[in-house]
Amino acid sequence: MKTKALKFLRYATMLVFVLTVIRQITGASDLTSVGTASAALLLSVPIVLAGLGGLFSERSGVVNIGLEGMMVMGAWAGGMIGTKHGPWIGLIAAIIFGAVGALVHAIATITFGVDHVVSGVAINIIAMGLVRYLSTILYKSGAWQGPSQSPDVNSIGTNSLPILSGGQYFGWKSPDLLGSLAEKHWFFISDIAAILRGITGDLSYVTVIAMAMVPLSLFVLWKTAFGLRLRSAGEAPIAAESLGVNVYAMKYAGVLISGALAGLGGGFLAIVAANHYQENQVAGRGYIGLAALLFGNYRPGGILMGAGLFGFADALQLRDSASVHALILLIVVVLLALVVRDVRKGKIIKAGATFIFAGLSLWYFLAVKELPGQLVTMTPYIATLLIMSLASQRLRMPAADGIPYRRGGLR
Amino acid sequence: MSVAVELRHISKRFPGVIANKDVSMSVETGTVHALVGENGAGKSTVMKILYGMQRPDSGEILVNGTAVHFKNPNDAIDASIGMVHQHFMLADNFTVLENVILGSEPKHGITIDFAAARKKVVEMAAQYGLDIDPDVLVEELGVGQRQRVEILKVLYRGARILIFDEPTAVLVPQEVDDLFNALKGLRAQGMAIIFISHKLDEVLRVADDVTVVRAGSTVAEVKSKDVTARQLAELMVGSELPQPTTHGDTRRPEITLALKDVSIPTKSGSRDLISKVTFNLHAGEVVGIAGVEGNGQAELVEAIMGLREYTGVIEFSGQDMNHLSVAHRRDLGIGLIPEDRQRQAMMMESPLWENRILGHQRGKPVMNGFVLDKKTTIVDTKAIMEEFDVRAPGPQTLAAALSGGNQQKFIVGREMSKAPSLLVASHPTRGVDVGAQGAIWEELRRAREKGMAIVLISADLEELIGMSDRLLVMLRGAITAELDPAKTTPEQLGSAMTGAA
Repeated sequence: MKTKALKFLRYATMLVFVLTVIRQITGASDLTSVGTASAALLLSVPIVLAGLGGLFSERSGVVNIGLEGMMVMGAWAGGMIGTKHGPWIGLIAAIIFGAVGALVHAIATITFGVDHVVSGVAINIIAMGLVRYLSTILYKSGAWQGPSQSPDVNSIGTNSLPILSGGQYFGWKSPDLLGSLAEKHWFFISDIAAILRGITGDLSYVTVIAMAMVPLSLFVLWKTAFGLRLRSAGEAPIAAESLGVNVYAMKYAGVLISGALAGLGGGFLAIVAANHYQENQVAGRGYIGLAALLFGNYRPGGILMGAGLFGFADALQLRDSASVHALILLIVVVLLALVVRDVRKGKIIKAGATFIFAGLSLWYFLAVKELPGQLVTMTPYIATLLIMSLASQRLRMPAADGIPYRRGGLR
Repeated sequence: MSVAVELRHISKRFPGVIANKDVSMSVETGTVHALVGENGAGKSTVMKILYGMQRPDSGEILVNGTAVHFKNPNDAIDASIGMVHQHFMLADNFTVLENVILGSEPKHGITIDFAAARKKVVEMAAQYGLDIDPDVLVEELGVGQRQRVEILKVLYRGARILIFDEPTAVLVPQEVDDLFNALKGLRAQGMAIIFISHKLDEVLRVADDVTVVRAGSTVAEVKSKDVTARQLAELMVGSELPQPTTHGDTRRPEITLALKDVSIPTKSGSRDLISKVTFNLHAGEVVGIAGVEGNGQAELVEAIMGLREYTGVIEFSGQDMNHLSVAHRRDLGIGLIPEDRQRQAMMMESPLWENRILGHQRGKPVMNGFVLDKKTTIVDTKAIMEEFDVRAPGPQTLAAALSGGNQQKFIVGREMSKAPSLLVASHPTRGVDVGAQGAIWEELRRAREKGMAIVLISADLEELIGMSDRLLVMLRGAITAELDPAKTTPEQLGSAMTGAA
């Protein structure tokens, strides 16, 4: 476990160093700014929650394409209830609504054996239609200003890591060491400080709770008997049943937790990332969460990384299109690293192909001074696609994932 | 010694079938007790009842002298009964330790106490001689080791009565030896072991007592040292064992099948798959093709059926078939029993009446003009099932639900239904139980007497010698010897097959 953490720290430091060098070369100062890191964190929270939702569901053996719909229900409930009863109650409503969507999925797939993908797609379509319908009713009754947007929700407080990132604690104003370090413009040191300041400063309490879900999921799924049984339902349900594990209950638990997490992700979008519910607010984040799940190879740490990469690309694209251009240089560096690895492993042909691709990327970087706007907007999705194609080669999904289970399969 | 488990007059029926009529057995502690019977005799059902997976319609189960009523496997586990399933019930992506403790995890607060679990599993493994690394993923283990994990699983739950459901079916001989040593170790520790099998030599090697079931009823309970494998087999079948024999010479003058210099060259131009095979087959004659598998027998069948390009001439009743399609050849009156029934002869997930159509999709009784005549096909399927004693609820039953023997009887019946004048039978009794074997031999005998010509390919040397009028030995694609089965022993045939003689 310790060596794993060290390895992660080493790679993270290397990545920041490369980013620093690229920033220095291209002058795209937003690559490692406080604002980018902070925005990246904010943008990755819903993806993390969706990914963890997918994790619980698929580990119990139920494919959950319906995450998107559950997030939509959560976002809508967060806006609707949050407007009336305040943000915290709104978040709880979001969790409940997400879980209700999940309950429908669970009944369809587990009790009635409906194909998981069919049920999931149906839930996505129904959720979108349902919230539109309910929003229209609220608009007609005069409670909402328009059919596609809720009134504003009060915001939830923020705070920072004491001493390092500032913040207020019981009337005491903490110093902001990382913040001041970040402004020194010391090569590399200020860059690290800025990124750390970005992800530890001015945090919403909800962000902290959401991020705590990552280690919590790891603990629940791998250290408790409940987790072992839930995973056994996704790996070998017949074996689990023969040992007295209630497979149906485990699958229901997995799917309901999944919906609750997705609902919280939707609520986060409505209440924390914005300050009201808006139609199409979720915008495919449920699917991106699934992509992060695959990238993370069905493990919480991997999901966090996948979501972080997406959030980073999304933040850059939103803040500064010039840095997206610089991002191509990062791709070149990563590809070259892959070339070195493949050559070492003796995979010459693969290395050659990757090398050619790296060359083309470099040429594109040099030839084009500014990326077309559409391409900039697409950045996070392209990043997801690239990541998926690199990651999917070592994928290990739960063995019985997506296979309808009938009790008495023992016969 | 005391009685660990006693079953009294267990009966169980399923819709359409009676699985158990009257099964009784009594297993003493510190013994290995074998339960033997043909496929479908009801062995597995008894054990599922004992393990709480199914409930008996009537009868009593006594564990250590007290009557028990199991609702599910958990009740059986609580009564210290454990089952080692034939098909392993393991999660491949879990470690050995996780697989063993799943469902009864030792807790430490809210977390699993992995350290305690590991210690217990390692101790148990050492105590019973089931050496294994608890932290390795199951997917990295071989079959024998996986079985050890299964055994550890039941021992971990405190089982004192262990049920092994056909445990040797998936093992290689070396692993069988290891398993039997482990069984002896468990017996020495005072466990009661129930060993389900139909491999009689293994039963006699490992068991102390043997209970024989036939057609859902206990027919005998004997000490293994008092019986021979042959006596056990006769108890299982309920009569003397069927013999692969034919009576008299039924050969007729007309030649049904003639092969002249038939060869199958390979694309690469190396040695021919079969080379210059020449023989005549008369009506009412059985020619046996002997050979170690992979010496061209399969290719020979494909050439006769027209499934493969060949050179040379194949004539059927004097007619040159070289340019005829498979369909055309079958229409002339050639039937085929393929070597792999599940892959080449049946659609496992389809009902029997659809399987009846295979190979007979042109003309009556399956077709009525251009339309599939489902009603007649079903009636006809039922007739085949009755005539050939295919034991299944009905024509709508899925092929996969039948035992191997019943599947094979159905295939034989299907091919015979058209009364072909030539039957190519590839391993017709491979992997079927003794009863079905006897029935299939009887069908072949009857067809031979009616003048059918049969090409018989088999790995069972006694079957070849007993059923054939003439034996041809194939070696590396060529016919290397012709033997008279009346004057050939299996040993002589075996050495001819390997080219030693």
